Amino acid sequence: MTRNVAIVGGGTSDWGDRDASWKDLAQEGGKATFDAVPDIGPEDIEGLFVGAVQPERFANQTHVAPMVAELLGIDVTEMIARTELACASGQAALRYAWLAIAAGQLDTALVLGVEKMNLGREHMPEVQSSMANVLDREFDGVNGLAAPPFFAWYAQRHMHEYGTTREQLSKVAAKNKTNASRTDFAQFQSTVEEDEITESPEIAPPLHLYDCSGITDGATGVIVMSEEKAREVTDTPAWITGSGQSSMAGNSINNLPSFDGWPQAREASQNAYEQAGIEDPLSEIDVAEVHDCFSISEIIEYEELGFCERGEGGQFIEDGRSHLDGDVAVNPRGGLLGCGHPLGATGVSQALEITQQFQGTVSSDRQVEDATTGLIHNLSGSASVHSVMTLGRDPQ
Amino acid sequence: MTDQQDTTDSTDPGRSSDANGSVPRETVSIPSEIELPDLLDFYERQTPEHTQIAEFYENLDDGRLTTTRCTDCGEIHFPPRIVCPECMADDLEYVDLPHKGELFAFSESRGGTPLGYHDTSPFVVAVVDLGEIKLSARIDDARYDDLEIGDPVSLKIVDIEGGSASERVFYRFVPKGDTQ
Ligand SMILES: [Zn+2]
Repeated sequence: MTRNVAIVGGGTSDWGDRDASWKDLAQEGGKATFDAVPDIGPEDIEGLFVGAVQPERFANQTHVAPMVAELLGIDVTEMIARTELACASGQAALRYAWLAIAAGQLDTALVLGVEKMNLGREHMPEVQSSMANVLDREFDGVNGLAAPPFFAWYAQRHMHEYGTTREQLSKVAAKNKTNASRTDFAQFQSTVEEDEITESPEIAPPLHLYDCSGITDGATGVIVMSEEKAREVTDTPAWITGSGQSSMAGNSINNLPSFDGWPQAREASQNAYEQAGIEDPLSEIDVAEVHDCFSISEIIEYEELGFCERGEGGQFIEDGRSHLDGDVAVNPRGGLLGCGHPLGATGVSQALEITQQFQGTVSSDRQVEDATTGLIHNLSGSASVHSVMTLGRDPQ
Repeated sequence: MTDQQDTTDSTDPGRSSDANGSVPRETVSIPSEIELPDLLDFYERQTPEHTQIAEFYENLDDGRLTTTRCTDCGEIHFPPRIVCPECMADDLEYVDLPHKGELFAFSESRGGTPLGYHDTSPFVVAVVDLGEIKLSARIDDARYDDLEIGDPVSLKIVDIEGGSASERVFYRFVPKGDTQ
């Protein structure tokens, strides 16, 4: 890339089942972002990238990026776009901003992820329909295949192939819910014991309620800047050191490359690591925000992101190696299991967590000591695409 | 706007408030229920005027599970296509798929079930391995606790009632032996 690019800071709305509209959330997230970066105001923003998955279904609204520009008083002069890549839409928005700034098109961008999902209990089947439609609706969504049974297949196959245990799934969920109890915007702030996880309702066996991330309203933003401009704002930004994505031309069930792993995550992370000069991810990455949409996802991600060998993800959590004080702190924020998952905002929130870990501004009981290298990871849809971004306290 | 505000004073009739209801008011209604349009249910519109893979659905209606094969490179696709993703040829033919397969993976939807299906919850949804291809499908007449990976299953066809003016069909599977 031609220019270094950094995240200088950001902010978030509260996440949860909110008494707020899509537009309310966008305003809360935008205000929190500008409040957190007092040197930057709407007048400085040249590019606006809005991560939003289903405003058409959840808020009956299209063309949302200009609406955000108006609500936050931003006169976009260079680039404006809404990104939709299902659950990776937030990271996709961040990636567009990175590329536009690295290419010299603009110096300062706002990346804002927004999702409104709680429409009242009576509308939950409608929300779940929209979630099923991130799969091939004609041949897969049509079978009532919402996310829980889909990821349950991966849990079943991973157990079948590698002997991963139900207890190991529970350990992931318990870890992330404990971490989320220290995150003030999180949707779920109560710790959950391992045995409470298997006592919670079985949503799609072998997955229980507490193995699943939430249905969440929320908006989170970050300010992304060129090196020259970023250094005027802060001495400790988070530099974007690498970014990779991979699909493998498979999206419908017949064409997915695996049901017990995600080679796309391996390819995307290897691509990002190469850009960032990371040779041994386990020893070099201090903090990782990975896509634990379900407990099984995080176990597979340990493997594909190179923290352990294929099939050893269950042992990795059992040995506590992904805990805050482990070899790599995975999901210190509490992950999707603890924070909830307002689709378009998730990737942005993960990047903000890494930034604040570098800046030492997270709650002290979830601060990872001397964090200098971080990673965010999202999967999307039928896990057919994986997106990985590496972040560093130094531009390298 | 700013100029106009400067010249506005309290005698402006547009600004006076009349508590006695000079603001007209009436009720306008929207329907409390609408028939589920077929664009909003899960099933594709299956006739030739709507889709170029109508032959897949016609074959299914005749009791045959089929898919497309590329006559240039021989690739079998699923779902069926109109262009071969391997070689970009568009001369494709329909070939029969096996009607018997094995459970490769399965779960049971017990919560978080999509619109239109919540009345039928719980239901089993699986990856069925037909050898040449794998597909997702509902498994009828079965509960999760009674199934194992590798169990044999066979094809079942469902006629879709409601939601659309035209008749539609889809495929499901049942544990082998339960099929009529
Ligand atoms: Zn071909």
